[in-house]
Amino acid sequence: MTGSPKLERRYRRVLACYPKAFRRESGEEVLAVLLATAAEGQRRAGLAESVDLIRGALRMHLGLSRSPRPVRNAVRLMCAGAVLTLAALVTVLVTLGRVRAGYVQDPDAGPWPTFVLTQIVPVLASAPIGAGVWLWLAGANGRGYNWARPAFTAFAGLLTTGLLIGFGEGGGEDALPSTWPDVTAAAVLWLVGLAAVVLIYSEAASPYYQRRAATRAATPANGTGR
Amino acid sequence: MQEATFLILTALADGSQHGYGIITEVQEISGGRVRLRAGTLYTALDRLRADGLIEVDREEIVEGRLRRYYRLTPEGTRRLAAEAARLQANARAALTRLKPSGVVT
Repeated sequence: MTGSPKLERRYRRVLACYPKAFRRESGEEVLAVLLATAAEGQRRAGLAESVDLIRGALRMHLGLSRSPRPVRNAVRLMCAGAVLTLAALVTVLVTLGRVRAGYVQDPDAGPWPTFVLTQIVPVLASAPIGAGVWLWLAGANGRGYNWARPAFTAFAGLLTTGLLIGFGEGGGEDALPSTWPDVTAAAVLWLVGLAAVVLIYSEAASPYYQRRAATRAATPANGTGR
Repeated sequence: MQEATFLILTALADGSQHGYGIITEVQEISGGRVRLRAGTLYTALDRLRADGLIEVDREEIVEGRLRRYYRLTPEGTRRLAAEAARLQANARAALTRLKPSGVVT
């Protein structure tokens, strides 16, 4: 078996990405395998190896290693929802100059700083929070928490309300212009949420949530979610 | 069944193996084509245990390090046998249809 203390420390650092319950149960075992497969004289974790470990850690955090296919697909959709939400933030940042140029040329428009405070800042602030909620609910559903299903349904309900309000208002006087890409992006996000709701309530998904709840009830001391 | 899963179950078909043993067995079975990394292996083992296809056989401490051995459950054996039969039937059908082309004998 190879592996210097330095290499072991570095592997331990990467393994810290895994859920606590997994590290407690299998951390030392995985470390032994990593050290056994290390090349003679290897001093640091290779890039491909680290990516593989981080990918494995992400899959476990999101419950992708244990959940049935419909739940796995729902979790993937929720992750896509997070990415789309962050993409909206990037779009706002990238197009800010163009929006400002158009806004200041409009003689009926209010002051630009007020517009930024009331229209731009809320979007910039809410996008990371929204993405965080998507990811948090993805992890909770992937690990089979019973509360995660109604929680995500409520979240999808909020998305629906937001979409309907957006359609209804058509943009106030000072609101960001509702262009077809905005409407399409909101509709895509809503569809992603809707598809995820359908999947987590599918016939094949329900036993998973019930089984995980029963497992947690049977082992309260180890109820860490994995 | 994914190829990695099939190979891991095959590695356990003739007896229990520990993590490093599974990696070397899979490499041998696949003719060196598949080299499992630790992250992939333990994600697969976690899933196979949750699905009831494998279970822990025993644990040992070797050179101060934990070594956990895994074995197939009866359900794992049944699923592997079914998958092997399915692959064999598909391969046989492909080879039969390729015969006229002369690529295979």
